[in-house]
Amino acid sequence: MTLLRHTPAGEIKEREALVINPAKTCQPIGAMYASLGIHGALPHSHGSQGCCSYHRSTLTRHYKDPVMASTSSFTEGSAVFGGQANLLTAIQTIFSVYDPKVIAIHTTCLSETIGDDMVQIRKKAFDDGKVPDGKLIIYGNTPSYVGTHVTGYANMVKGIVRDLVKASETKGEHLAVIPGWVEPCDMREIKRYLNVLGVPFVMFPDTDGVFDAPMTGKHVFYPKGGAKVEDIATAGAAKASLCLGRVATALGSEELSKTFGVEGDVVDLPIGLAATDRMIESLIKTYGLTVAESINDERGKLVDLLSDMEQYLWGKKVAIFGDPDQLIPLTEFLKTMGMDVRHIVTGTEGNYIRDRLTEINPTANLKIGGDMFLLHQWMKNEPVDLLIGNTYGKYMARDEDVPFLRFGFPILDRQGHQHFPTVGYMGGIRLVEQILNLLMDRIDRDVEEHKMELQM
Amino acid sequence: MIEQRPDAATAKQELVGKYPSKLAKKRGQQMVANKIEDGGVVPEVLANSRTAPGIITQRGCTYAGCKGVILGPTRDIVNITHGPIGCGFYSWLTRRNMTDPGPDGENYMLYSFSSDLHENEIVFGGEKKLEAAVREAYELFHPKAISVFSTCPVGLIGDDVHAVARKMKEELGINVFGFSCEGYKGVSQSAGHHIANNQVFKHIVGLDDQVRGQKKFRVNLLGEYNIGGDAFEIEELFKRCGFELVATFSGNSTYGQFANAQTADLNMVMCHRSINYVAEMMEKKYGIPWIKVNFVSANATAKSLIKMAEYFEDAELLARTKAICEEELAKVEVMRKKYAARTHGKSVVLFVGGSRAHHYQELFKELEMKVLAAGYEFAHRDDYEGRKVLPTIKVDADSRNIEELHVEKDEALYRAYLSERKERLESEGYTFSDYAGMMPEMDTDSLVIDDISSYETEKLIELWKPDVFCAGIKEKYVIQKMGIPCKQLHNYDVGGPYNAFRGAVNFYRDIDRMANSPVWKLTLASWQEESVESASPVLEPALA
Amino acid sequence: MRKIAIYGKGGIGKSTTTQNTVAALAEMGKKVMVVGCDPKADSTRLLLGGLAQKTVLDTLREEGEDVELDDVLKPGYKNTLCTESGGPEPGVGCAGRGIITSINLLEQLGAYAETQQLDYTFYDVLGDVVCGGFAMPIREGKAQEIYIVCSGEMMAMYAANNICKGIVKFAEAGGVRLGGLICNSRKTDREDELIMELARKLGTQMIHFVPRHNDVQRAEINKKTVIEWNPQAEQADEYRKLARKIDENKMFVIPTPIAIEELEALLMEFGLAA
Repeated sequence: MTLLRHTPAGEIKEREALVINPAKTCQPIGAMYASLGIHGALPHSHGSQGCCSYHRSTLTRHYKDPVMASTSSFTEGSAVFGGQANLLTAIQTIFSVYDPKVIAIHTTCLSETIGDDMVQIRKKAFDDGKVPDGKLIIYGNTPSYVGTHVTGYANMVKGIVRDLVKASETKGEHLAVIPGWVEPCDMREIKRYLNVLGVPFVMFPDTDGVFDAPMTGKHVFYPKGGAKVEDIATAGAAKASLCLGRVATALGSEELSKTFGVEGDVVDLPIGLAATDRMIESLIKTYGLTVAESINDERGKLVDLLSDMEQYLWGKKVAIFGDPDQLIPLTEFLKTMGMDVRHIVTGTEGNYIRDRLTEINPTANLKIGGDMFLLHQWMKNEPVDLLIGNTYGKYMARDEDVPFLRFGFPILDRQGHQHFPTVGYMGGIRLVEQILNLLMDRIDRDVEEHKMELQM
Repeated sequence: MIEQRPDAATAKQELVGKYPSKLAKKRGQQMVANKIEDGGVVPEVLANSRTAPGIITQRGCTYAGCKGVILGPTRDIVNITHGPIGCGFYSWLTRRNMTDPGPDGENYMLYSFSSDLHENEIVFGGEKKLEAAVREAYELFHPKAISVFSTCPVGLIGDDVHAVARKMKEELGINVFGFSCEGYKGVSQSAGHHIANNQVFKHIVGLDDQVRGQKKFRVNLLGEYNIGGDAFEIEELFKRCGFELVATFSGNSTYGQFANAQTADLNMVMCHRSINYVAEMMEKKYGIPWIKVNFVSANATAKSLIKMAEYFEDAELLARTKAICEEELAKVEVMRKKYAARTHGKSVVLFVGGSRAHHYQELFKELEMKVLAAGYEFAHRDDYEGRKVLPTIKVDADSRNIEELHVEKDEALYRAYLSERKERLESEGYTFSDYAGMMPEMDTDSLVIDDISSYETEKLIELWKPDVFCAGIKEKYVIQKMGIPCKQLHNYDVGGPYNAFRGAVNFYRDIDRMANSPVWKLTLASWQEESVESASPVLEPALA
Repeated sequence: MRKIAIYGKGGIGKSTTTQNTVAALAEMGKKVMVVGCDPKADSTRLLLGGLAQKTVLDTLREEGEDVELDDVLKPGYKNTLCTESGGPEPGVGCAGRGIITSINLLEQLGAYAETQQLDYTFYDVLGDVVCGGFAMPIREGKAQEIYIVCSGEMMAMYAANNICKGIVKFAEAGGVRLGGLICNSRKTDREDELIMELARKLGTQMIHFVPRHNDVQRAEINKKTVIEWNPQAEQADEYRKLARKIDENKMFVIPTPIAIEELEALLMEFGLAA
């Protein structure tokens, strides 16, 4: 018997209202993730307790590491009278008990519908003396009924820029880097590139060393990682900006440009060969630098692997679901590998996403703002050789007996995503390795006994 | 090993010391050093009270309690979340409720359904979209029933989910019902349990009067959610003893079981906090008495099974049940001795749920471990102090907004002979409708803390250094970063089952493995500070 | 650009006063945008010569992210720019959230951008500040001045006082200030004195007393402001006076709302309670 046994094959009836097996979640979790990329920040969820609990749980299951965040613990009274009293109490409690450098507030569907004004409440907290000297409160508006978790990351990033960056008349030589929603190890990898290429930079959010904290026998409430407030402040004096992944960073980029006069490129997340090339091209354009030989070598190794293994990848059919900033370069990379991307679903809507994915892969089934139920129906009607997506894909993979690469958020049942990057050339090598392992294990499992191969 | 732990009163002072004064005062009422006086009287503990805003709490919301906990394990109802996408996403498959879809094969538990409200519906109202969502669900799946769960913004924009449910019930000809379980109601998941109980009782229980299966020894198991297959263990035991399980609320359950539940002769309440409402209402309406049972720990399981058998006043049933218990206990005892030799004298604290922090203490006692402190996440005073305090519990604003169903005796279906049997048995010393609570079974001077905060959790570990900490997913890695193994008692760390006899042995093995794991001695390298005790760990394999 | 929000009890004549004032400012050569913040979407009818075809929220609903500024911003009398937030029918959804949504959208679309070369933006806001959404126009970075339309009637004054309470909260955070009370006469006894006294107690001024005149209604029937319908009318001059006073106003205060007893005492003093 199959697991998702009520998912029918055959004619697909379009749904207008019901979402089944979403390929997205809501804004605040993205804001919580972005906030934890600031060193010494405590994310605060301005809404009911459940939101904060759900977001912490999901991030914890994904990372198997502590995720600290507080909540305004709304009651029916707060829903009627507004959340100001709760937030003011929360601010006082947080500073006296948890002593963060920054409280990073994000709103919820509840507080957004009530219309709580973060600027007004924050001002009141300062006026009422609830904020100790030198401490900061920043905020992002993240109504859950607009966009998705990626939008929440974007809105918090905008808040970080607006509230933590300091304006500067004079510009320095450094680059303000805003990574999209990627894993801590990916952020580390991006920093490695900048270091190897000799680009001075400030990067935020930076979750490297936050969700992959070492075991020390102590719980470090504010882990070593995270972009420091004083460093973020200097982004206003940056020579230029580099934002990776348009959906998650365009708002931040815009804020840097509009408010602080820092201009720059928004390029794709550097997933795969071409997208990593584009990131480096942007750096060459800004800094006129010569690319280090070690980076050229890494690139060469990726191309080498692709050329060596091309026969195992070529023409294989793939179905993918996930977040747009990942899907765009990943689809491109799968095409680079010679694979045939048949079905693409993202829960996040937007014309930009549609246009990019259509341009990269005009022949696939594509649903922007779709769900995994639809993807599964497509897979039943037109089977694939590989499924790529977050852990929730495993039920479809098992039902359809398809090799499954866990990629994206959340990954609740495997390890490694927090430690081994998938960005950059070496990240590309890791992706190719993982895909090859899946496809080759399948060959070894299924091949007739007399055709078993030693070498592959 | 800690030579001397500060006593409970001192620890309590330490735990609240850093709080602003008003908060410290309130938390002071939510923590007590246990003391048992005559008649099982224990100190009062403030429970089911608001968490202070800003405190990092274990608690979730009303929606989580309603949709996640109670209706989560229902496999043949299409449960639609009415709201923005998040709530439906987060409650999707995250609670390890197992189910055996059996011959009919209907199982929607692997699916997440949501009306996915957008800003447009928040402004213009979401009822039309909800209607369409219900209709689409029906057209795709033709389920027996569809239910609708309200999330926070739905309460604010005033969508009437009950009116939509009534309309769709009429239109589709299947049962459709709604829950007003907006997250902001109540102070924790507990409010959601109550709301779920009410609606399940109102809309499903009693719809099917046909007595199926064995005519005698018919029971319902309430408040067992089949985490990690717990209910499977219990079901098998019931079968062996000769009980006919009519319905479980709600682990491994079906819609049909709920509808038929009133044909049972006895209700057994496992998780008192989440389900006592249904037990009370069924007794009032149908005359079915309820008893408190516990299938966590081998001894508790035997006690509960024998108590069930005694209720039916059938010598054969009782003899068989006792024989099974004896046989199983003997098997368990062999294993218990083996593991207890390795866990003897170790200490544990439990902060979780609304019953589990109590139930699991019995297992730790079987492992000869000491419970230093315990508390619940969303319980009420009766779960701490026993139902005898019910009349003295003040109803505050956060409970008043939850409907109290007015239930009357059903003249046609009320079975007077059950209440007569209850009366007779009571006169012989059999106890019904009672739960003595957690505290009377805890040591004097152990610490009881309601709604423990993350700050208090860390402080308690520093002060008391327990060998094992029981909590949930949000706490687990904080605790383990401090070098203490944490057993999750919501999802069992993907372990279990822990119920009944075999489950008890599973638990012994897991706790031995965790408490004695060499991994906790690997933290520091020889060249790091405090390296003396961690140098060259001896890798002892855990017992098989 | 000056951003002005007009508040006041429902039915007091906010929209009429606002549009006539805006028409007068336009006549003075000012570039003005009017943002209607009332789900009924009737705040720009007189400037447009009829109800707006499509509100911001309707457009957003139909066009999704493809909405452009031209879809929602329509030219009215003397190149005024008119837009209606719109919102749900009575009894459903959340009108307050609708205002937040549409103002956010207008900002995103660049309705307030310097390229628009606006001298004024007027927000005409439904009734009282009943919930967070209705305070959106006076949040930080939005309207800096508020005028409250009221009359000598008890409930209108009560509402004015309540609105002042809302202003205080946002004044402390965002810098919004009260520019004055506009008395839209209901011809109650000693109305001008009464409102002047109320204004004094609230720490503000009665910026203008608009007498009652049937021309207002005649113009309305013709879907026009008085200024457009009959530029020579006496009443048109009243609005011109009001517009000039607003244009020249220098008195911006954080109001001092009064206790309900004080408000009642005020009415007693002016003989209305008799």
